[in-house]
Amino acid sequence: MVRVMVVDDHPMWRDGVARDLAEAGYEVVATVGEGRQAVRAAAAVRPDVVVLDLRLPDMAGAEVAARLAEVEPPPRVLVLSASAEQDDVLEAVKAGASGYLVKSASREEFLDAVRRTAEGDAVFTPGLAGLVLGEYRRLAAQDVQADGPRLTERETEVLRLVAKGLSYKQIADRLVLSHRTVQNHVQNTLGKLQLHNRVELVRYAIERGLDAD
Amino acid sequence: MAIEGPFWRAIAVYRVASLVYAAVLMAQQRGYQEPVAGWLVIGVMALWTAGTTYAYAIPGLRRGPLLALDLLVTMGCLLATPYVQGSLQGAAGTMPVPATWVAGPVLAWAVHAGRRAGAVAAAVVAAGDLWLVRAPDEPVVVNGAVLLFLAGVVVGHVAQLARQAEERMQRAIEMEAAQRERDRLARDIHDSVLQVLALVQRRGRQIGGEAAELGRLAGEQEAALRELIAVRPAPSGTTDLRSLLLRHASPEVTVSTPATPLLLPAEAAGELAAAVKAALDNVRAHCGPQARAWVLAESGEGTVTVSIRDDGPGIPEGRLDEARADGRLGVAESILGRVAELGGQVSIVSVPGQGTEVEITLPT
Repeated sequence: MVRVMVVDDHPMWRDGVARDLAEAGYEVVATVGEGRQAVRAAAAVRPDVVVLDLRLPDMAGAEVAARLAEVEPPPRVLVLSASAEQDDVLEAVKAGASGYLVKSASREEFLDAVRRTAEGDAVFTPGLAGLVLGEYRRLAAQDVQADGPRLTERETEVLRLVAKGLSYKQIADRLVLSHRTVQNHVQNTLGKLQLHNRVELVRYAIERGLDAD
Repeated sequence: MAIEGPFWRAIAVYRVASLVYAAVLMAQQRGYQEPVAGWLVIGVMALWTAGTTYAYAIPGLRRGPLLALDLLVTMGCLLATPYVQGSLQGAAGTMPVPATWVAGPVLAWAVHAGRRAGAVAAAVVAAGDLWLVRAPDEPVVVNGAVLLFLAGVVVGHVAQLARQAEERMQRAIEMEAAQRERDRLARDIHDSVLQVLALVQRRGRQIGGEAAELGRLAGEQEAALRELIAVRPAPSGTTDLRSLLLRHASPEVTVSTPATPLLLPAEAAGELAAAVKAALDNVRAHCGPQARAWVLAESGEGTVTVSIRDDGPGIPEGRLDEARADGRLGVAESILGRVAELGGQVSIVSVPGQGTEVEITLPT
């Protein structure tokens, strides 16, 4: 049984989501309303999937996602946010979240996203694809030395089609690829961004550390 | 204006100091030829110094009548000089009885109404001063007049600058307060109303029937409210295209953008947003109100691209060219027109079974 933890500061919403998950056959191992509590609970109850709201009273959502990524074993994080704060979503995904869904998504969309997250797939909504595309463009425009992550032409093509609302199957048909290949391309774009983010964090930490001496 | 206060206090200090100077001169000259009249003038000056110090401190009294009276009293004291000084008047090194005190109203006019008013008051006082020192055989000494003009114009100018600076500061403070209030509201709305609307939408859809309709309405309001509180300020003259496009977000229309601003000249952004709206209206007209659509905005090298895709049946091959040949492109034509005027390009692609895609590219 897939173990799910729900993190949201709104009790009504939290309970509704937990009920939907339980009805769909998931084991809801914890429901918490704060970020710090969420990190502690995740270490104790070891969920497979964390459904995370980005607006929490005590911590920024991206930071919660980053701390969850350090938990052993790291749970997969699905961001479920009413937030129109696109920066927050992008930061959370760079910090390790593997999917993003708006709260207004239907129950079916939500359950499907949890299932895919549990299976290890990235849940790429068109909105997230747009954010990731934008982030690669920003990095490309910013780095002159070109040591930042780059998208291949194929990856760009796939990501743009995702952002335009095509399903993986439609993309596979249009580009004459297998469904799995499309999925891999999408996964790669996210993986490279998360890796770059970790490298940047380490570089930042080293620079700060050297300065402190 | 709070900034005027210090100016008026400074003028009061100036009046007191120059009153003392005039009294010292009077004492040194032992009251000139008419000591009684001379000390009477000094007395009037002292009274008027006290009066103006009090009156100019009250914002409601700083008006035309007080300023006019100020100038009249000063001129009166100045023009009493020939009677007080008699034959001593005009001798080398002799100042009129009020001496430097006469600059008081010049400064007052300048602070109250700016450098032009300062110059006018200076002209009046200088005219009186020059009339007093006129001598048939000697050249006119204009030092005093020049100093008065300089004082009037410079102080007036500085007072105006200070007032403008204060106004700007005030506006900035108000804007900051408004922004803070907006942030607070946004947080509150986000933490309460949006959550409930999203919940109603979700539960409504699950229950079905009439509740589903309520849920749909709640969803529309949620999207509208979310957009309302997410206003992004852009440098003046430009618009963040994202804020215009995100207004179209609804359960049927998904809008995807980068996390960073897409800045365009305000006019171009408006035209582009209008073209996008026309395209979305077109989708609704041809594929029904329930048709889904996706809007993607992205920046390229020196370009901004917006694509609008629907999941309708698509346009059969050849139909597009046919329509174009017949001049029946209708809405597409209006999009093409708008975009062409901005120096951009439009491509329309239709894949059977995968809807129609309109892609608009503008140079930035």
